[in-house]
Amino acid sequence: MLRALRRCRPGPVPLPALPPALGPGLGPGLGPGLCPAWAPRAVPVRGRKTRHDPPAKSKAGRVKLPPPVDPEELLVVLERYRQHRLVLSALRAEFRAEVLQRQREERLAAGGSAEELEEHRRLMAWNEEQNARQRARREERLRKEEEEQKRRKLEIAEKQARKMEAFLEEKEKEVLQLQEEAKNFITPENLEARIEECLDNPRNYNFAIDKDGRIVKRTVLS
Amino acid sequence: MPMKGRFPVRRTLQYLSQGDVVFKSSVKVMTVNYNTAGELSEGARKFVFFNIPQIQYKNPWVQIMLFRNMTPSPFLRFYLDSGEQVLVDVEDKTNKEITEHVKKILGKSKEMLEKEERERKKLSHPATFGPKKYHLRECMCEIEGQVPCPAFVPLPNEMRGKYKAAMKNEA
Repeated sequence: MLRALRRCRPGPVPLPALPPALGPGLGPGLGPGLCPAWAPRAVPVRGRKTRHDPPAKSKAGRVKLPPPVDPEELLVVLERYRQHRLVLSALRAEFRAEVLQRQREERLAAGGSAEELEEHRRLMAWNEEQNARQRARREERLRKEEEEQKRRKLEIAEKQARKMEAFLEEKEKEVLQLQEEAKNFITPENLEARIEECLDNPRNYNFAIDKDGRIVKRTVLS
Repeated sequence: MPMKGRFPVRRTLQYLSQGDVVFKSSVKVMTVNYNTAGELSEGARKFVFFNIPQIQYKNPWVQIMLFRNMTPSPFLRFYLDSGEQVLVDVEDKTNKEITEHVKKILGKSKEMLEKEERERKKLSHPATFGPKKYHLRECMCEIEGQVPCPAFVPLPNEMRGKYKAAMKNEA
């Protein structure tokens, strides 16, 4: 096993220096050069100075260089990593696609079986039939209502006509009656004659009545 | 808590759970067009007032929309996920007839509901013990006729390891 993978093994690992800040005391099975695998390795310590304090004079000419890298080894390692990651991601994509495909198939099988579709179509047809029946009933009703309305309109028109007729008749009768009466009117022409006539024929409007209610019209005119 | 509304029984859980229309999973939207006045819309009005709460309770993921006084005659329209639209004419029907009709064309049948119920029961075993979220009981002490929980009723001394150890040490 690679030395670098020792951290993944359950159990204590060798540590070059035991940081003093390590909390748990050494338990059974742990030696002086070991610490539990889960313990933090390089605990960041700043020591005495904060980040705002200037560095020491002894560090004035210090040049920090990055760790040396062998270019050929680097190329080889990078190439190997690239291939490894390519293969892994391809495998993952493959598995993902397979899982999705299986899910899709399962969903299709559950949702679209032949009998269900058939049943659905049958129910839709039945629903359509009910709708058609309702439509027929509704049309019937509307037709009846229209007829009813027409009939009512006709009736009203007839009544109106009859009323007009009666009215006109009344008026006609009045006119005729007036014409009749006009014959007996007193005009300036026959005024003298009518006066003479009235004076010649005196009319007696007096009458007598007794307690039994008998009327006597023939009385003596004075 | 005071009773709210004209028929507060519609808000009770018992009433809501009595609704028996469970839509198939393909139904997504239900639209009701009805009129607030008129003899022909009476059934639709009663349906909206009494039965729609029950339907929504049983189908929380179905969107229900109501449109008032937009068309001369009342109807229901269902939008399925395949894009199909189902029209149901409800003029001149009572609300009971409407629910029966809807249940027949788009509701899950009783066998299907029972099957689903059985599947759901299969997932969990009633005889196991554990957290209340996943099991019926947590400890044997909850069952009648078993030894009661020592937190409430102390165990008799014969069953306590402390007493037994003391006896053994003494002897």
